[in-house]
Amino acid sequence: MEKLKFLSDDDVKRIHNATLRILNEVGYVWTHKQSLEILTGAGCKVKGNRVYFPPELVEDSIQKAGKRTAIRGRGGVTKTLGDGNLYFHNLGGARDIYDAKTGGHRIAELQDVRDSTRLLDALENCNTITPFFTPQDVPGELMSLAMYRHALPFTTKPLQGPGVQYGPETKFAVQMAEVIGNPKEVLTLALSPVSPLTIPDHEAEAVIEIARAGVAFGALPCPTAGATGPMTISGSIAQQNAETLAVVILAQLVNPGLPIIYCGRLAMMEPRLGSSVWGGVELALASAGTIQIGHHYGFPVNVYGFSTNAHVLDAQDGFERGLNAAIPALAGADELSGIGEMEAGVMGSYAQMVLDNELADSIQRLRRGFSADEDALGVDVIAAIMDGSRNFLGQKHTMKYLKAGEVQLTKLAERNSWETWERKGKQGMVERAVDEAERILREHQVEPLEPQQEKELDTIMAAAEKELVKKR
Amino acid sequence: MSEELYKEMAQSIIDGDSDISTELAKKSIELNMHPLDSITKGFVIGVNYIGDQFGKGEAFLPELVMAGEAMKAAVAVLEPELIKLGGAREMMGRVVLATVEGDIHEIGKTLVGTMLSASGFEVVDLGVDQPADKIIGKALEINADLIGMSALLTTTMVRQREVIEELDKEGLRPRIKVMVGGAPITRDWVTKIKADGYSEDAIGAVKIAKELVGKADQ
Repeated sequence: MEKLKFLSDDDVKRIHNATLRILNEVGYVWTHKQSLEILTGAGCKVKGNRVYFPPELVEDSIQKAGKRTAIRGRGGVTKTLGDGNLYFHNLGGARDIYDAKTGGHRIAELQDVRDSTRLLDALENCNTITPFFTPQDVPGELMSLAMYRHALPFTTKPLQGPGVQYGPETKFAVQMAEVIGNPKEVLTLALSPVSPLTIPDHEAEAVIEIARAGVAFGALPCPTAGATGPMTISGSIAQQNAETLAVVILAQLVNPGLPIIYCGRLAMMEPRLGSSVWGGVELALASAGTIQIGHHYGFPVNVYGFSTNAHVLDAQDGFERGLNAAIPALAGADELSGIGEMEAGVMGSYAQMVLDNELADSIQRLRRGFSADEDALGVDVIAAIMDGSRNFLGQKHTMKYLKAGEVQLTKLAERNSWETWERKGKQGMVERAVDEAERILREHQVEPLEPQQEKELDTIMAAAEKELVKKR
Repeated sequence: MSEELYKEMAQSIIDGDSDISTELAKKSIELNMHPLDSITKGFVIGVNYIGDQFGKGEAFLPELVMAGEAMKAAVAVLEPELIKLGGAREMMGRVVLATVEGDIHEIGKTLVGTMLSASGFEVVDLGVDQPADKIIGKALEINADLIGMSALLTTTMVRQREVIEELDKEGLRPRIKVMVGGAPITRDWVTKIKADGYSEDAIGAVKIAKELVGKADQ
């Protein structure tokens, strides 16, 4: 299938050149001493609180960077970003949980981290899992680590690390990964530089720590076009690219060849509110553009797919995430994020996870496209039935293509007649998703960690608490 | 004559045009108009209008920012004149603003500062990544009526509680009122940490600030 493109080759070159200018002429707010020493040693200039990157260094770092990212789950399955397939994972870092049964919402806690991980473990289209909720019953300093610690026992799939911000946080995350395997193989970590073009000292320290540990790394700048990025999609893509490449450069200088996941989280500002629009189709456009830029460099690209601003599982939710997942998928995304997401990433819901699992099937079907070779065209079959039954139901050709997946079958979407639907209890898709989520949480068991592993994780968390939690 | 000029002043704010608002402020001085009248009968009318429009979802956030900047520019011209005349603009109250420790996001907080200034508050904005003792120290130093704290991250919003607990420990409340804001902040959170007020946007923040200093009607 031809990839969907919104940018011409010239556009891509222009964005690349704009990025080089931003990095070389505008500079990046950067004050962390140790990393500045590394950068100036490689030819960067520092003036005031900004660092300026020579274009050769940018190009060189892109070239050096690892372009494939493999992550293995403790169950043994490895997923490789950049192998040409489209993978899905969930939103990470939601504050609230939406209860589709009651229509209410509440603050998420540790138990929700465990339950959401176990549910995602059962959903076949969630290929890797990111710790979902930021549990508010844990001190802020330990939140990211607690998310990872309490997700680990509840999946055997590849488990990505939580978003980190601090060097010590990174250190403890890597130690925890060691409990289930080689961190280079079982962990990926992501970090969000601040837009526009700023990296706090503790984040620069974390990048060094991640690179030293050899853990696959995703820089996740989150510019909002109009507020923390230019109002234009192209301008913000260029800025986002500069923000990503700057930290990639540091990572490559610390550890040449470190695998990079090129991530895009560019959203528009809702000009009447000042908030981020995750539901508008501009997100799909921005993501598609981001994919083109990342692929231009050869990186695997992760962008938002399942996303909405909606607060309930309604028509807005459905059409926003449908469009936002389909467009980047057709543009060739290596990984789509957002399973379970609601309210622009603030909230998540179990029913939404189940719904997205089904949407993911349709997205994969879209990506597969359809064949137009001689056999698929089936002129002989047409000729045969015209002389016979005058329909295609009894044809081998029909069954062959059905078995090959020409028609995507649904589990939750309704396709029956009114009468049948009524007889079966008049359920809507959301109600079926709620039931399915409940069923999975009731029935699905995950192979637990060894008692020794649990103990090791607790020891690491205790050490983290001692080092990170401020005395009150 | 001055009525016409007041209208132009208000319009310059609505248009977010700092050049014109500066020019009109200078012109009003040449015409011997009282700076306080220029502010309250002219420029502030524009700020209030655009604030109302924003509240109704009919103005864009960038328009609000530009209006705030145009207001600042006009006040910068008028304030020295006002002092020369031996007067001062009656202040609504003193506010210390900061983004809490560990967090360097400040667009919303800065906008709140701009709108509070435009509405007659004296604002000291400490910037980002501010620990509790710095925030409280500054509030004591300037004898602040209000502390405003922002946080963007769910991992840093907990710091807002620390500042409030510290204020309580020192017995500084209710003398100093606390308002909080930021993307993850909800009414539940505000109740939980016992803050005095919160708003989802800068216009609401001005309203809350006025209420907290007992000047809701102004």
